[in-house]
Amino acid sequence: MKRFQLHLCLLLLTVSATGTAATIEMTVNGLVCAFCAQGIEKKLKKFPATAEVVVNLEHRLVAVSLKEGQDISDADLLKALKDAGYTVKSIERNDTPIADVREKLKQVKP
Amino acid sequence: MIRLFIVLVAAAVAAPVMAKPIAFADGTTVMAEYGAGTMQELQIFYAPRFDYSIGGGHVDFTSDEDSQTNHITYARLNWLAHRWNLDDAQANVFVWGGLGSATGNSFSGSTFTGNAGGQADYETRRVYASLKSDLQRSSQFSVRVDTLQLGVAPYKHDYGGIATWFVFQARHYTDNLHSGIETAALLRLFKGGAWIEAGVTNAGKLQAMAMFNF
Repeated sequence: MKRFQLHLCLLLLTVSATGTAATIEMTVNGLVCAFCAQGIEKKLKKFPATAEVVVNLEHRLVAVSLKEGQDISDADLLKALKDAGYTVKSIERNDTPIADVREKLKQVKP
Repeated sequence: MIRLFIVLVAAAVAAPVMAKPIAFADGTTVMAEYGAGTMQELQIFYAPRFDYSIGGGHVDFTSDEDSQTNHITYARLNWLAHRWNLDDAQANVFVWGGLGSATGNSFSGSTFTGNAGGQADYETRRVYASLKSDLQRSSQFSVRVDTLQLGVAPYKHDYGGIATWFVFQARHYTDNLHSGIETAALLRLFKGGAWIEAGVTNAGKLQAMAMFNF
């Protein structure tokens, strides 16, 4: 019985980990100044599911880390960026922790 | 030359690429400009959306040529007519209009004023250009200020860091406010939502601006 419970817990953890992306990375056009970044950050932080926002002008990247078990749909993200005045070129969901995204941005040159 | 450099470095603190009447959606912009003694202006705008803002300002004009002064307080609507979001650049066309009231030393009492203007700009993280025209008109005067700015950044800044821009400005005033074209060399710095620029005109006068977005 105990082994069954352990397997069940592991299974649930696995489903939870893979069912929701940790980070959403978007490539955004028109991202050339700090005011642009400030406006986008302010807009995305209004989503209850947003844990953290990273904006990088060099890579035209906007990354949103999600609170555990929560999500923001692509449609909602596209609308938010459009309402902020910017154009999203691509959206990618992954399990990369936001700290790793930051580190990658420091190291990788475009 | 060294004195000019020291003045520019000392006067500048931190600012973004180009002053815009709309910074971002749900954002407030406060801007103050000292225009070489000819024009002093204070503005505050709130943008409910990314493509328009509402607010107002106060501007004082003092003629270099005679003793005429005008003091105008106005309400204004700014509209982003079009934006181009390119891979590594952005271009915008803004237009605005407003109404106000003015006093001056060349007429008695106050007079009703109308305000209209526009701005076209293009910027990357290394270069930018903007052309702005702003008209204040009443039955007593008509003042138009045309401003061209060309900027270059010595390095590409990123969000969170300090951006540095070297800016050349050329300005033309109508209504006998200033004779000829006034030019200025400016140093502009910004970080986050704060921007400050300062420099000197070809007449050796201070030209400065501060802008805060939040």
